[in-house]
Amino acid sequence: MSAVAGLVDVDAALGAAAPLPRSNGELVFEEVWQGRALGLGVVALERIGASWGEFRDYLVAAIAAHVPAPGESAATAYYTAWLDAVEALLAARGLET
Amino acid sequence: MSDDHDHGGVHHHERPASPIELRARALEALLVEKGLVSTDAIDAVIELYENDVGPQNGAKVVARAWVDPAYRERLLADGAAAIAELGCGGAEGSTMVVVPNEPGVHNAVVCTLCSCYPWPVLGLPPSWYKSHPYRARMVSEPRSVLREFGIELPAETTIRIWDSTAEVRYLVLPERPSGTEDWDEEALAAIVTRDAMIGVAVPVAERTLA
Repeated sequence: MSAVAGLVDVDAALGAAAPLPRSNGELVFEEVWQGRALGLGVVALERIGASWGEFRDYLVAAIAAHVPAPGESAATAYYTAWLDAVEALLAARGLET
Repeated sequence: MSDDHDHGGVHHHERPASPIELRARALEALLVEKGLVSTDAIDAVIELYENDVGPQNGAKVVARAWVDPAYRERLLADGAAAIAELGCGGAEGSTMVVVPNEPGVHNAVVCTLCSCYPWPVLGLPPSWYKSHPYRARMVSEPRSVLREFGIELPAETTIRIWDSTAEVRYLVLPERPSGTEDWDEEALAAIVTRDAMIGVAVPVAERTLA
């Protein structure tokens, strides 16, 4: 756990390209799965030793490729792309079946 | 995060999971199985992130402005750009105005409408910042409110109150306290508090034990 990046570092790594959804500074999790998606991405990233820069590239690509469903919220779109990015990263490392 | 209010008598566990929810669960289960993550580690990250935003970015910005006059100039000219220079994310897309305290001028920040706050530099707002009495009284009787926070300003000091909006956020640049002339940036940042950058406190030259 000690190696997990602080939120300040995550914000700096994602920058303006793919910032976490927020409302007045507080992270927006409309549903429980969105928080879990964030958490599992952060933990998996640290465990496989991927850099935040590498993950950001996957995330930016996933956001660009995401086709929003009608009425989909920004947080749902973001964390759906987030899951895509985690899976793409794992697949690139041969870690996903 | 919790979703345990009553849905017309239907217990929330019985609500069918959406496809994306199932997908998130499946990915978590897969990663747990592979030993890459644990449920506890994910819980810990969420907990950390929901609380781990502090005013350390703002303190770095203020300390730099105290030691570097050119940085101070840039900070006052374009707050968001100067803050981004120090690698602080999140300030993009909003206008950040830095208002300097000077001899005879004291600044403080409020949001009378709701609770707009310069969170990229200060983290999450304290509960009193969102309270109705603070939002109303900081405008109508700032001198009294500041006295309650422990700042006694001379009668001739001008008090400027800055009302934040979703588009424009303000950050107070406090005056560097005397007695800190030979301090380095890190020591200076340690005495810059959240309250000082809201304008309801002034930094004091007291060294903290590292």
